Amino acid sequence: MNLLFIRSIDGRILMGITMFVGMMIMVGWVAINEEARMQAFVEQHTGRAIERGAELYASLCSECHGEEGYGAGDRAPGLNNPHLFGYDPVGLQTAAIINANRALVRLNKDIDTLLAELTDADNPPSEERQNEILAALNDLEAQVDEQNVRIEAAVAERITVLESLDTAVDNGLFPLWDTVVDIEQTAANEVEIFFSNNGTRLAQVGWAGDLRGYIITTLIHGRPGSGNVWPNSEGMAAWSQTAGGALRQDQIEDLAEYILNWDKGAGWAFEDYISVAQYGKPLADGSLPSEPPPPPAGDNVLGILARWEADEVAGSAVSGESLYDKEFGCTDCHRDGASAPDTIGTFTRVTSERLTLPQFAGYSFEQYVIESVVRPGDYVVDSYSSGLMPANFGARMTDQQLADIVAFLMTQG
Amino acid sequence: MSILPFPSFLDDVKDKGFKKAVFEGIDDSVERLTAGLNIQDLREAFRGETASRRPNPRLTPHADGFWLHMRPSYFNRDVTGMYPTFRLGWLSSYFVFFETITGILLMLWYTPSPEIAYGDMLTILSNVPLGQLMRDMHRLGAEFMVAVVSMHMMRTWITGSYKKPRQFTWFTGLLLLVITGFLSFSGYLLPWDQLSLWAVTIGASMAEATPVVGDQVNLLLRGAPELGANGLLRFYLLHVLALPALLFVFFGVHYYKVVIHGHSLPPQKENIGEDTAKRVPLDKRVYFIPDMLTYEMMWLGATTFIITVLCIWFYHAPLENHADPQVTPLGTTAPWYFLWIQGALKLGDKFFWGVAFPTIALGGLALLPYLDVTPSRRYAHRRFMLTIACLLISLTTILSYMGLAKFAVQTSAETEIVHELTFEPAHSKVGIGRTIPFDQMIVGAYTTAQMDHHDGLSASDAIAAFNAEAAANGQFEQMIQELKAQHVGANQLPLRFRAIPAVEAPKLMRVMEDFHHHLAAVEATELPNVWGALVITDNQGSLKRLDWIVSWDSVLIEGGKVQVDDNGDPILIFSDQVDAEGNPIPVRRIYSDHLFIHQASAYFD
Repeated sequence: MNLLFIRSIDGRILMGITMFVGMMIMVGWVAINEEARMQAFVEQHTGRAIERGAELYASLCSECHGEEGYGAGDRAPGLNNPHLFGYDPVGLQTAAIINANRALVRLNKDIDTLLAELTDADNPPSEERQNEILAALNDLEAQVDEQNVRIEAAVAERITVLESLDTAVDNGLFPLWDTVVDIEQTAANEVEIFFSNNGTRLAQVGWAGDLRGYIITTLIHGRPGSGNVWPNSEGMAAWSQTAGGALRQDQIEDLAEYILNWDKGAGWAFEDYISVAQYGKPLADGSLPSEPPPPPAGDNVLGILARWEADEVAGSAVSGESLYDKEFGCTDCHRDGASAPDTIGTFTRVTSERLTLPQFAGYSFEQYVIESVVRPGDYVVDSYSSGLMPANFGARMTDQQLADIVAFLMTQG
Repeated sequence: MSILPFPSFLDDVKDKGFKKAVFEGIDDSVERLTAGLNIQDLREAFRGETASRRPNPRLTPHADGFWLHMRPSYFNRDVTGMYPTFRLGWLSSYFVFFETITGILLMLWYTPSPEIAYGDMLTILSNVPLGQLMRDMHRLGAEFMVAVVSMHMMRTWITGSYKKPRQFTWFTGLLLLVITGFLSFSGYLLPWDQLSLWAVTIGASMAEATPVVGDQVNLLLRGAPELGANGLLRFYLLHVLALPALLFVFFGVHYYKVVIHGHSLPPQKENIGEDTAKRVPLDKRVYFIPDMLTYEMMWLGATTFIITVLCIWFYHAPLENHADPQVTPLGTTAPWYFLWIQGALKLGDKFFWGVAFPTIALGGLALLPYLDVTPSRRYAHRRFMLTIACLLISLTTILSYMGLAKFAVQTSAETEIVHELTFEPAHSKVGIGRTIPFDQMIVGAYTTAQMDHHDGLSASDAIAAFNAEAAANGQFEQMIQELKAQHVGANQLPLRFRAIPAVEAPKLMRVMEDFHHHLAAVEATELPNVWGALVITDNQGSLKRLDWIVSWDSVLIEGGKVQVDDNGDPILIFSDQVDAEGNPIPVRRIYSDHLFIHQASAYFD
């Protein structure tokens, strides 16, 4: 500490200057490393965005698109999907055919030039030249044959590949495949045209932007169910808050990061193509589409009670406790009575205090608790503030879950 | 006759020659800029010589200049050392300016909107050179400022400097302390991450307990029943406009009072009941120019140097996940300087402890100089007030400790343990489960039961024995069902437990030992016959999924307490099934939580 109370003026000036220069050197040192640090931060942050996206995917999307992104039943396509990322299963063969066709065009042009020279009546070539031309023509014919062999080989190979895609086609890959009735009979360029229009998801829907934009737009707005390819699809919900859904924009972007992270780039293989549910038909292994999730309870208290009665819904306190503590995080607030009534003692408090209030005349314990959960704003105990409890639990819980929670609270005497 | 039609510098050149005219011109400019000191005066001052001119030119800047008119021209030697001020008042002022400068720089990249604010934080960290350093400095400066201002108040109390004639100085100082607290608190919300949202939600909900006007105050503050776009904008305006304006006003008043009354001397240096701060004997005078000026410039350099070192190597401002009103993080607390209120709230009534108690405490502090009117400032004569000061410090410390999440908040053991292993980065800490290196996350199912078998079994034999056991009693199947419910892909479900690859994955081994250690601590009470498991699965090429499972026999818990029988053993809850020997089987409970780890996300312990 004596250092900070140097008694001589020049000592202080020297100390001050040293400190100032030292600080500037450190800041300079930080500055020259900033590019690398910022780059590292971007990578790290993208990693965490993918983690958060994975969490959202598991809880919101895996039901229809499959836990591993291979699709589930006949409800939605797999997203861990080469078709989505632009992998063309017959790309190599198509390229070979196109290259050979280009070579053929060039060769035919050369042949035409030589033939024109040979048959020119005004200026007939010398005999020596005629022999030269004939030899060259023979050579060119041989090259034409060679290219034709290549095309045939590539077409045959493509047929093999496309035939091995039959399973996927049966599963609904390329719904317009019927337009190419018989691969072997169809002109080769028709198959090419088909693939340039249908070979990737973006081409298929005629999307002009990039894949990220396509994914984000779909997540934001959802899409109507297309009955012809997805017999059991109710369409995709609009997930973004912008479009009336539940997710914030940053969550939409996290989800897109996660989906894009399935891209294998050059690593996609033919096996990937046939292992993923492309379109809505029963899977090749004959497995059935999964059942749609039960509808949410909603916020009509008497309606819920009536359904409980009709469907004989019985709550389980054990499962209710887990829902209460974990799934819906009720204990986070309902714990020490500071921000919300304590969980402990709920049953006694409700039955002996709340239900004696005039506005709850005729209420049962169940009705009171259901109303408190699905319509938290209707009545708030005096010493607590309104608006704290989210009002969307009715939309998030099923009848069974609500019954479990009521059963659990009944045990909290 | 002037060269130009008006008197000019050129006339000087003509009269005195170029060199002399330029030097005199510069000298003259320096004297105007310093409001009274020419170059020669400055040289003498900074060489530590006495002034050669009379009257002393070093006093002129105080008399004629704006900036130094508010600084005393000399101090008493007795107050220029470490004791009695500890430079805390100077440091407080330093932080006011430090925070203003770094804050204005941060404002360049910030938009107070829930849609954009968090993204702006990421931009500052990822796309603004020195942005991270600036944010760290602003945040660390804020924490220091609260601490320094509070210590300044306690110092004033202890040396009795609030006594006559400085009562009002103390009162404005207290206002500044409150404003500092609110400034720091309002800044808390601006990053719009989970930490800020929930710390501020807790803080703002205290205001609600105020009778009659509570709801209105709360609504005014938040702009809506829940914190959202309006709330963020209001906190932002409070932070950058209203509170700084108030701060600067009272800062002016406070400092004016300090100068008017002089810095109070150490109590033993003056007679009881006297105030001699303004009567400084000649031999005790330490002049502002050059002594205090060089001191202050040096401290300026030193303090900024220290903060820079801290922010480069030791401190980074926290940034958690995007704020989400639907997800309450476990163990949310108010900022540390409001922990004492949160602690007090656990004592009982929300209105009394959350509103009345802090108001009474602050009101008592404000009235302190008017209540304690004894003339003596000597320590020996102020035993009562010094005792009260110590009690206040102790009380605040104890209440702050009680405000911590771990104090008297009932969370079930399994939730607590898994959270402890997996929590997201918060307050510069992260759950150890996240710090397993990516290449050590070897796909498989591992269990803490491996560590339970000490009776000479090798790890693989212990695992084989446990696999057989868990398959027979259905506990493994229960875990599989739980994993399915948590959306683990059907192809990914494990078939059996494997021995932990201690050689290839030492960190994984350490985490599992940690897991086992935590579970063992509560096995005798809350979680009988417990085992924990970690199931690692591949999710994407660069992404692993870690499922943490706790399985135990359920016990009777009432009022958050495990019920025990006469032997002190926990009372188990039995199902209606019986085992082969006809003994009832306890209800088996299972808990799980999971996290995803990406190769590039780089969590460190």
